[in-house]
Amino acid sequence: MSKDISQENSRASSPSRGTVVQAGGALPMGGFRITLARFVIIGGFLLLWEIASGRWIEPFLISSPSRILSSLIAGFREGDLFQHTWVTFQEIAIGFPLGAISGIALGYCFGRSRFLAEIFEPIIIALNGIPRTAVAPLFIVWLGIGLWSKVGVVFLLTFFLNFFNTYTGMRQMDREYIDLASLMGVKGWKLSFKVIFPAISPYVFTGIRTSIPFAVIGAIVGEFVASTEGLGFFIRMSAGIFKTADVFVGIIVLMIMVIIIDKIAEMIEKRALRWQNQTEHIQIQA
Amino acid sequence: MDGKPVIQVEDVSKLFRTPTEGTISALQGISLSIIPGEFVTVVGPSGCGKSTLLKLIAGFSPPSSGRILYQGEEVRGLNTKVGYVPQESKLFPWLTVEENVGFGLDAKRYSRQDRERQVRQFINLAGLAGFEKYYPAQLSGGMSKRASIMRALAYEPPGILMDEPFGPLDAQTRMVLQDELLKIWEQKRQTILFVTHDLVEAVALADRVLVMTHRPGKIKDIINVTMARPRNIFEIHRQDGFDDAYGRLWNIFRHELNIGPD
Repeated sequence: MSKDISQENSRASSPSRGTVVQAGGALPMGGFRITLARFVIIGGFLLLWEIASGRWIEPFLISSPSRILSSLIAGFREGDLFQHTWVTFQEIAIGFPLGAISGIALGYCFGRSRFLAEIFEPIIIALNGIPRTAVAPLFIVWLGIGLWSKVGVVFLLTFFLNFFNTYTGMRQMDREYIDLASLMGVKGWKLSFKVIFPAISPYVFTGIRTSIPFAVIGAIVGEFVASTEGLGFFIRMSAGIFKTADVFVGIIVLMIMVIIIDKIAEMIEKRALRWQNQTEHIQIQA
Repeated sequence: MDGKPVIQVEDVSKLFRTPTEGTISALQGISLSIIPGEFVTVVGPSGCGKSTLLKLIAGFSPPSSGRILYQGEEVRGLNTKVGYVPQESKLFPWLTVEENVGFGLDAKRYSRQDRERQVRQFINLAGLAGFEKYYPAQLSGGMSKRASIMRALAYEPPGILMDEPFGPLDAQTRMVLQDELLKIWEQKRQTILFVTHDLVEAVALADRVLVMTHRPGKIKDIINVTMARPRNIFEIHRQDGFDDAYGRLWNIFRHELNIGPD
């Protein structure tokens, strides 16, 4: 599964990425050989790292896989790594859904109301031009050093991605679906939930999926700026005292967190968009 | 209300404002009246406002002048009592065939049993039995077209507007579907206004063919097709009355097409 999110810039991306990812995952082509090659590459890299550490490069610079593994185990067993993980997880678990839902809701409203969109669109675009992590210190000032300032940064980072993707979906969607449904007497919330949201759901899910790593970035940046616990705090503190193995431990836990959240989102997406994946064609005359 | 027209168009004109060409007149002084159970086709060169006429009757936009009555009432805003079959199938891709066909029933008052019976009946009519749980992406062009038509028929609106529904299909599929449409229509006798650019199709299906001129769209003539029903679409050329109606239609139409040396 390859997702290239190389820039923080929240530009709405086309929903095709989601489908491409799914199609790639479903490809049965030479499954075993690919898995084997993958293991050889990763194993080789780890081995090289292990050998290099202490021989060619100072361990305090790059640590080593064995040291990282033992730090990871020790961190969870004796240290407070679990507590740090829990804190960061909470920040994301609150900020991410809030940001995603508000972004989706606003994107939807803009799509429904030309009036609203005309008024606020330039404002939103201007706000989007602000490098959002630069606002993090402000959140500390406003919301304190604890949980809520980080929730604020996570919210900010996820909000725009979800907003832009949903709004793009609203503009790209085929109006004829709304016309047809309205003609059949469907209106109000039924129109929204039976027609509009399903129609834009590929875009909405693209927004959700692309914003997951940014939610984690938000939490970490918030913790870097000022905090007393959390994985960002743990990483910064460990780096400060040259406990490089612990820095890598923090990074690995974050990576696993992103992967788990993304997998959950992927499962939900696959269920919700199963109509899209059914591409097996039946050839029957007429 | 028997015998009273289902669709009445009274001196309707439609102007569009475009950024490049200024104001263009899409329809001019259109009047027509369609009685219950009638099958009327509209032919005309592309861009003559055929689709615009349907859109006005559906209430997607108001006429610039004149008025449209549907079952005796003036159309203001969306006409939710009319069925509409768009050019492409436009099935809701996130719903199964069954859910698509039943879509229009939800907003009307149907009991659960009635709803199921109705959906079943129309799925069977369209020969889609066995495909109820399929998504549109899994259907062939002909099958989605059928489902799309059934979606408009299933809630039994008194009038159905069809905008070149068979346009994008291959010739064979097209004939099969024309045949099926006529069979269903003969059972249900819903009033149909059917836009097409195919002269044979226009004659083969219709009781009356409306010929429209190039922009501004006016009604140039109306041809009564006296061919007996039920008709055999596959051998329509051999049926009594076809040549006559087609000949008259072609005579009117050739002037519209500007046929010349290149």
